[in-house]
Amino acid sequence: MSQLRSAPGATWIILALIVAACGSSGQTGQPTPSSNSTASPNPTSKPSPAETVTINFWHNYNEDSPENEVLVNKLIPQFEDTHPGIKVVPLTIPYPDFRRKLITSISGGNAPDVIRIDATWVPEFADMGALVALDQEMSEFAALKATVYPGPLGSNLWKDHYYGLPLDTNTKVWIYNDSLYSAAGISSAPATIGDLDGLCANLKKANPDSYMLGLESTQGWVMLPWIWSSGGEITDEAITTASGYLNGPKTVGAYETLLRLYDQGCIAPLILGDGVDAFSGIGQGLYASLDNGPWTYPIVAGAHPELKLTAALFPAGAAGSIDIVGGQDVNVLTQSAHKAEALEFVRFLVGSDFQLAMGGVGVIPVRQDLDVSSLVASQPYMSVFFDQLKTARARLAHPGWSDMDRILTDAGQLILRHEQSPQAALDDAATKINEILGD
Amino acid sequence: MSGRLSRGGLVPYLFVLPGLAVLGVWLVFPLVSALQMSLHDWDIVPGSKSPFVGLDHYAQLVSDPLLLSTLANTVAYVIVTVAGQLALGLAAALGLESVRRGRVLLRTLYFVPVVTSWVVAALMFRYLFNSSSAGMVNHLLVSVLGIVGRPVPWLNEAGTAFIAIFALGIWKGVGFAMVLFIAALQAIPEELYDAAAIDGASRRRAIRSVTLPLLAPTIVMTAVMLTIGAFQVFIPVALITGGGPVHRTEVILTYLYDVAFRQLDFGYAGAISFALAGLVFAISQIQLRFMRQSALAG
Repeated sequence: MSQLRSAPGATWIILALIVAACGSSGQTGQPTPSSNSTASPNPTSKPSPAETVTINFWHNYNEDSPENEVLVNKLIPQFEDTHPGIKVVPLTIPYPDFRRKLITSISGGNAPDVIRIDATWVPEFADMGALVALDQEMSEFAALKATVYPGPLGSNLWKDHYYGLPLDTNTKVWIYNDSLYSAAGISSAPATIGDLDGLCANLKKANPDSYMLGLESTQGWVMLPWIWSSGGEITDEAITTASGYLNGPKTVGAYETLLRLYDQGCIAPLILGDGVDAFSGIGQGLYASLDNGPWTYPIVAGAHPELKLTAALFPAGAAGSIDIVGGQDVNVLTQSAHKAEALEFVRFLVGSDFQLAMGGVGVIPVRQDLDVSSLVASQPYMSVFFDQLKTARARLAHPGWSDMDRILTDAGQLILRHEQSPQAALDDAATKINEILGD
Repeated sequence: MSGRLSRGGLVPYLFVLPGLAVLGVWLVFPLVSALQMSLHDWDIVPGSKSPFVGLDHYAQLVSDPLLLSTLANTVAYVIVTVAGQLALGLAAALGLESVRRGRVLLRTLYFVPVVTSWVVAALMFRYLFNSSSAGMVNHLLVSVLGIVGRPVPWLNEAGTAFIAIFALGIWKGVGFAMVLFIAALQAIPEELYDAAAIDGASRRRAIRSVTLPLLAPTIVMTAVMLTIGAFQVFIPVALITGGGPVHRTEVILTYLYDVAFRQLDFGYAGAISFALAGLVFAISQIQLRFMRQSALAG
């Protein structure tokens, strides 16, 4: 009854469905003003100072983070000073709620003007017609494109157009606990995937209860570096088929390696979804290494300031050392009534002032032309992340990526649980992904 | 109609109007909207075309293997947690009725889980049943009691994950059932127990022959309410296992949420929600009919 009275799930879901229905029922095709501005109806006209245009900017910087502090107290005022007549209203939305709120706002016809969203979401929102193709709206797009890292940029490409620009990026590297490696007589990070069996054996000999590696799940975010570095792929380059790629010998080989390492107790059970989390695990000496992002350092240092972590490139396979690109893109919504002003704000966001200021609080800039020496000087481990970014790749830029990722996650689970062989699980997964690609 | 209006005038209808308006906005409109969605290949972007697909989404329901497995999981949750809440709630009510001192305090303690946030409780259970030795349950089993030699991977296996989910569902609702049963127990005339005692009935016999028959309507009513609530289980599964491993703990509402907000298939999600509503309505009707028959038989 307590469930009935609070109706915890159903009410939430049904109300969200209603909002979606309300929004779409009046399908006029006309964009709805997304702010309480007094702007000129002509979205391309430059507003005079008397006509303040409000740009709603939704992002998921943590409310109490240094990034949000710099954004709200320094960078947005700086933009408003140099752009009289444009007021930016930032809204922090926690990551778990962001996608649902954005979908609800789009379906309600009151989407924000500018968003900073997970790079993997861009093709999906572009495909539904919610995003402006920036390469068609920004005359300087070609020049901007040349300045940013190609991996993060690739996440914005859908059907020959770029629907956003990377705003900040990250990747993962091999991070290890110095003292555990030293205790096992190991002086450096593994250079290749082939070195991992020996590394694991030495670590286990010195500390039988520990694991060589703490991986957090079987999602694409975790699995793709192994697949790509081994020379495997999910689909062909044009993203038309998974057959021969996801179930090809190189991808199958990558999963066989992971399975072998898991069976030998080298990879922690955390990979199946539960257990000691990655950061606590490496902090407590349970996991000797992680494949994780730059946030590992402040998180682990908070609880274990004495622990020395070292970063190295992801172990290379037949195709080299290829880790995965994460990060956020910036996009303009088609429902924005102030596209010109929104695009101006986007120019500011990918400009060097913004990128360097955010770099100062630990956010990896997306521009290759910036001098990041001060960032590396304050956080020496960042140099490895910059090196890894040169070869890091983005996940498939496809609206169905979320579904494909679910299929990959399930396949990984079935393989590690010995419920299916790597070949059989990946054959099934390829068939399912082909169905998505055929839609 | 005119006769009724003339007898009461418009005033009664005006009093009912606010309630009807609330029902219209929060119940009828969503129902109609969800029905409309379920008959279309719904596109969430305003201005986009949403092709009419008729009953296609309803036909899809019966051939969706994942939906059928989530239905089985939901039914299992309903059976286990409703039975558990009824049994433990009744036991707690009977126990507390015989307690002389500290009754109010104990009632309050039993009721605390009911008013605890589902999110907080789910996260707490996730921590309790963590698969590592750091989980409280594993610590108890391995280090304190020594019953098992190694940590149980509670949340990595569907069978054991359901134990955590069921435990939360029962823990959260026992207090509510208990309160209803206490209220019903207090309505039973003391004279009936006196008469039973004069006839030589033991305490156990009095419970069986006096208490339970007179509690039957309350038990059925509580079961109906708990059943409706249990079919709507969402947060425990979403936060404890996320439906994993490999969708094996997925329930209807977590699947519905996934279909709507990850797959953006609002049309099919609408059909699922209608099917769920129909199922809950049918089961509630059966339970209520059972209650009426019991009352008539009594």
